[in-house]
Amino acid sequence: MKEIDIPIEASVDRNRTNPLARVFDELVRFCRSRSMFMLHYCTGCGAIELPPAMTSRFDMERLGIQPMVTPRQADILLITGYVSIKTLKRVILTYEQMGSPKYVIGICSCTVNGGMYWQSYATAKQLDQYLPVDLYIAGCMPRPEAVLEGMRKLMDRIRSGEADGWKDYYRRYDWYLGNQQHLFGDDWQTPADVIGEASHYDLAGPGTEGEHTRLLQQCQKPLEPQQTFFQIGGSLEVKGESHE
Amino acid sequence: MRPENYQAISHPPSNEYELNFGPNHPGIEGNYALKVKLHGDVVVAARADGGYLHRGFEKLMEGRLWIQNIALVPRICVPDPVPMEVCYSMAVEALNDMEVPERAQWLRVLQLELSRIAAHLFTFGGHAATTGMYTTMYWGVADRDQILDLFEEWTGGRVYHIYNIPGGVRRDIPAGFLDRVSHTMDYIESRLPDYDNLFFTNQVFVDRARDTGPMNQQQALEWGVTGPNLRATGLAFDVRRDDPYLVYDQIDFDIPTEAPGDAWARTLVRRQELKQSIHIVRQVVEKLPSVSGPVRTRIPNPLAWNVPPGETYTRVESSKGELGYYVVSDGGDKPHRVHVRGPSSMHAVQVLEQLAVGARLEDVAQIMFSLDACPPEVDR
Repeated sequence: MKEIDIPIEASVDRNRTNPLARVFDELVRFCRSRSMFMLHYCTGCGAIELPPAMTSRFDMERLGIQPMVTPRQADILLITGYVSIKTLKRVILTYEQMGSPKYVIGICSCTVNGGMYWQSYATAKQLDQYLPVDLYIAGCMPRPEAVLEGMRKLMDRIRSGEADGWKDYYRRYDWYLGNQQHLFGDDWQTPADVIGEASHYDLAGPGTEGEHTRLLQQCQKPLEPQQTFFQIGGSLEVKGESHE
Repeated sequence: MRPENYQAISHPPSNEYELNFGPNHPGIEGNYALKVKLHGDVVVAARADGGYLHRGFEKLMEGRLWIQNIALVPRICVPDPVPMEVCYSMAVEALNDMEVPERAQWLRVLQLELSRIAAHLFTFGGHAATTGMYTTMYWGVADRDQILDLFEEWTGGRVYHIYNIPGGVRRDIPAGFLDRVSHTMDYIESRLPDYDNLFFTNQVFVDRARDTGPMNQQQALEWGVTGPNLRATGLAFDVRRDDPYLVYDQIDFDIPTEAPGDAWARTLVRRQELKQSIHIVRQVVEKLPSVSGPVRTRIPNPLAWNVPPGETYTRVESSKGELGYYVVSDGGDKPHRVHVRGPSSMHAVQVLEQLAVGARLEDVAQIMFSLDACPPEVDR
């Protein structure tokens, strides 16, 4: 156990031995908190309050927050409301494509505990079982002021280094993957190499690999081209979309 | 996936390829996806891929009390929630043979029309954004906020109001509210020439939207198109006039139509409906002080409210088209079955699949916004 703990401690220690590293870290965190690109993915009803928050009246841009269309360049993943199981698959795919550091904000009550849809068969109830959530903005739905206040909280947390949910995803990947497999089935896989990234960032810990990653390794199959959707006379079903 | 499992995939050389359009795409309206097959940049075939917003509303409503469902229904269509509340309340009232006080009916009309204005401002703002004119979107969202401020003062909620309940409305308007409504109407009407100059007569918009996604009247009727999209093909059908509900038979308004049935016509119909809605709101503001009385009838204990058995279908004209509720009661305290006839499920699935064929890829988003489809209502 002690041997596995070493990488995390080592990464912290290495930063501290260099006298400039602390100053440099402060500077980097300051810059990160002042230019956040927000992924343009409207997952639920809370998205209706984002246009007022982004446009002229409340103007999120003055805080340095801008919508961004691709996950690769985005810093924040906003989960605006309930996530159905079909959406959650896409959300996890999107999250794993984003470059670190990345932050997840859960907007609306539905991401906290299921909200209005606590008894629905189609939605995932607690978002933080599947993704590390840095900040929740509760309400149904939160007003644009609340969204802006949440963003400012996130900026503070980034500056102080508290918003490190993305590290948690690498450190406890096995637990997150287990929950995902429980929901989507044992053959759930994504194209991202999370274990490889974890060792790249020196974040691989005892919780990174475990029984669920071994199951992932067993069930892994090569990526195949999707079934042609428009084949005439063929089946019109979408492959790989089976919900439990 | 670990790197050792990667394998190169070879494709046969071809001009045709398939593309996932959405759900994470700035051109798509909400959380909705299309799978398109392209030849060059021309769409050969399109298939709607919904279900990202499915919450199982119709099943959820069977498990909740009649009065609890009022909080649930506005979530079905997020940009235009008021018609949902009104239509569901009307269905429960029809099952109960309940009379709604006249003042409550006028208040409902006022709320429906304000919601329509807000939804239309949002929609053609979105349509403008897909043609690259972001200023119109900024203006539309900002002007919509004026209406949301009115709603906030009136009901306490910006987007979801939960204001209409079976038997009437929850409370009366605050003092001096009608003055502020007419002030806001004056403001929005004064903005319309600006919108015309910026967007509706803009050559960029006219060139791009003309002959994009056209449908004729017969196709529209076959595909179940309603609302502004049907009126854009030249047929003046409006539930408000042809099957009047509430007090719409006492209100004077025109039904704007356009003949071509393309994206340009559909958005232009919305532009003219905006003016009609402002006209209706003005009439309600004028009429409301002379209508006195209670704003709701007495309902039984809502926690033990057994609605008489029966079935009913009520419909209203929402900003997207005809919205209907088919409600069956078996005499219990919960609905036996609720079916929502949402207009967008026709517009965003079968109509969009047909209209996208032959269009260029960059026009697909425009066609979707011109149809004013509302993804949460498609998936429900």
